[in-house]
Amino acid sequence: MILYIVRRILFLIPVLIGVAFCVFTLLYLTPGDPARMVLGEMATESAIQEFRRKEGMDKPFLIQFGNYIYKAVTKGDIGSSYITKRPVMNEIMATFPSTLKLAAFAIVIAVIIGLPCGILSAIKQYSIFDTLTMIFAMIGLSMPVFWLGLLLILLFSVYLRWLPPSGFDTFKAMILPSLALSAQSISMITRMTRSSMLEVVRADYIRTARAKGQKESVIIWVHALHNALIPIVTLCGLQFGQLLAGAILTESIFAVPGVGRLMVESIKMRDYPVVQGGVLFVAVAFSLVNLLVDLLYAYIDPRIKAQYR
Amino acid sequence: MKKSGFVVLLMVLLVGLCGAADAAAKDILIVADQYDATTMDPIAHNDVPSSRVCYELYDTLVFLDNEGNVSPGLAESWEFLSGTEYKFNLRKGVKFHNGEEMKAADVRYSMMRATTDAGAKIATYSQNVKDVEVVDDYTVIVHLKKIDYSFFSSLAHSWGSVINEKATEAAGDSYGMNPVGTGPFKLVSWQKGNKYILERFEDYWGPKPKYKTLEVRSVPEPTSRTIALETGDADIAFPIVHNDLKRIEENENLVLFRRPQNSTAYIGFNVTKKPFDDVNVRQAIYAALDIVGIQAASYRGVGKVPGTLIPSAVKYSINDEIPPHVQDVEKAKKMLADAGVKDLKLEIWTNERKERVDSATIVQAQLDEIGIKSEIKVLEWGAYLNGLMEKKHDLFILGWVSTVPDPNFAVSGLLETTAIGASNYTFTSDPKLDEMLDKGRSLPDGDERAAIYKEMQLYINAQLPMIYLHNDESIAGTQKNVKGFAPRSNEIHSFRGVYFE
Repeated sequence: MILYIVRRILFLIPVLIGVAFCVFTLLYLTPGDPARMVLGEMATESAIQEFRRKEGMDKPFLIQFGNYIYKAVTKGDIGSSYITKRPVMNEIMATFPSTLKLAAFAIVIAVIIGLPCGILSAIKQYSIFDTLTMIFAMIGLSMPVFWLGLLLILLFSVYLRWLPPSGFDTFKAMILPSLALSAQSISMITRMTRSSMLEVVRADYIRTARAKGQKESVIIWVHALHNALIPIVTLCGLQFGQLLAGAILTESIFAVPGVGRLMVESIKMRDYPVVQGGVLFVAVAFSLVNLLVDLLYAYIDPRIKAQYR
Repeated sequence: MKKSGFVVLLMVLLVGLCGAADAAAKDILIVADQYDATTMDPIAHNDVPSSRVCYELYDTLVFLDNEGNVSPGLAESWEFLSGTEYKFNLRKGVKFHNGEEMKAADVRYSMMRATTDAGAKIATYSQNVKDVEVVDDYTVIVHLKKIDYSFFSSLAHSWGSVINEKATEAAGDSYGMNPVGTGPFKLVSWQKGNKYILERFEDYWGPKPKYKTLEVRSVPEPTSRTIALETGDADIAFPIVHNDLKRIEENENLVLFRRPQNSTAYIGFNVTKKPFDDVNVRQAIYAALDIVGIQAASYRGVGKVPGTLIPSAVKYSINDEIPPHVQDVEKAKKMLADAGVKDLKLEIWTNERKERVDSATIVQAQLDEIGIKSEIKVLEWGAYLNGLMEKKHDLFILGWVSTVPDPNFAVSGLLETTAIGASNYTFTSDPKLDEMLDKGRSLPDGDERAAIYKEMQLYINAQLPMIYLHNDESIAGTQKNVKGFAPRSNEIHSFRGVYFE
């Protein structure tokens, strides 16, 4: 098992170099001169040349990329922001906690609501509850987050005055953004749980369990759910990974200082080191979440555990 | 149904857990701004949110009030020894936030630092500084390379902030996050991208703020800013977009402020490209456009159509004296035919700002009426500026803000030959205009200077390198109990004098 984890982490290295290369190339090809964007329209030509020289932009593409990887690997240095001059890692770590909190909160809400709704829908297939849940799930899936976000603000902040409309400092302020962000995940988890459970509850061993007189709750929660969990866990992992990559719309509406906003602002300002570092960071986070999901499989399914070597 | 019941239950529980915020005595001013500052180093930025925070953290030698009048700041008095030598007598006993006294050496250090590459962003203001002579601890003489009276009012811009040498050198590259000034507020904390918190500086030399804490949050979504006002989450919010004006006006707990801004949005011509190098073609296109209608439709009752390039609140402006433009399609067609232009096809470039895209769409339709086929290209900001630099454009929509309210800065950055390669995207290079700009800078304020700028504005209108589209407004909303606040024409709003009633 440990060997497996180590191997998976080592696999990260080529993935990250690949990601770095793609981002580097894309940014290189993007129109817009970073020196001019950073220094502004009033900058003199000599200042612009000096900036290019200092940031190594006057060198050929492959040498720039080589230098970047060399510094990252040997010194763990992924550059400094052109704008604030602070190390990229500091910039990211200043925003990542908000994103992590937002994503974690959203996924917890999604699981707490989505999982029971999905299970109930499956065991009461075609009931009114099932129909209503599926209608809500469809609405949740189709409703754009910027619209839902504004509706939530109108209801809870403007009319009821229960929760603050923006900010992310207090627990209270975190509720609305997390709720808005979780709507799509709730719907997806509900639908996935329902379909996964529907497949399982028709399986032979469930019939056997019923035949030998097992209690219905045990059948559902122990026998059926346990076996239906794999696709649900996969989905939760994917969703969580995506949420970690930043939820730019939610972050903008609720003024949450997260990774998504940092990345968009950095792209606009052509603050390339922050964009590169940010993408790499998100890639690492995503890969680690996937690894975690794979390890969870082993916990859920002993057959998979046997394959991990 | 069970699901929604569950959600409500969850919400009630969560809210109950948090408890209600206590309503202590009001000693904190909360401002909702659109963007966060990029840096708190006064010479490392040229954006309004950063200038705003610098205005609270630092002082400049002279201050400019809302009407553009100069008053003493860190300099108690001054004297123009000649066109290139300004003598300043500094205030005594002014303390920096780190406890040191502000002296002439700090003024010299601050200004000379602005002339290095560290000040590339504000080079327009600083490039004329030759040297700063320290006469004694409380007297400096600023030597300029060439005569420029517009330099004097630029000293009130945040680039002219006086910083502390020791603190700046100690902080190095991270000074932008660790500012030390002499201003009425000092930095307590800064969560980048979210908010900064400033606290009253108890040793401030001037009138101290009447509240202790200033918190400025960045709320990029316009509706969220308005809602923050409505819910009492923010005391002041800006900018307010046209959709929300009525909501604030009709809310009896809120006050709406509107003030003409020192900015001009324009439709520029690339005057180096045929046939736009011909002034008659430019005038023909202008005649074909119903600019008043375009502005009204795109900006929905905010701002006005400019008459000249110098905005109304800047001195010597004749912006409001020019009669409104009247569309004349027949005249346009005739002028175009006289200029020998047939089957003209062109591109109209703009960035993603909705009002500009809307304007471009109407311009496209109106040009069609005189037989000009056009295509609209909407570009992302970085790509847009890059394309303009490369002279690939025909017509383009862009804006300009005169942060320093001197007529020189309203014109030179856009149309002077030396600004080609920087912000002169029409690529205008007109010796006569350059000469007028030089003369305008060489004269102290007075009738002669006023005459030059009046002549200049009319000359630019005749040459028409650009069609003026829109003078924007600074719009802000506040709670009713917030007093002593008014938005400024250059958008560098100030919170020093705000108090609660």
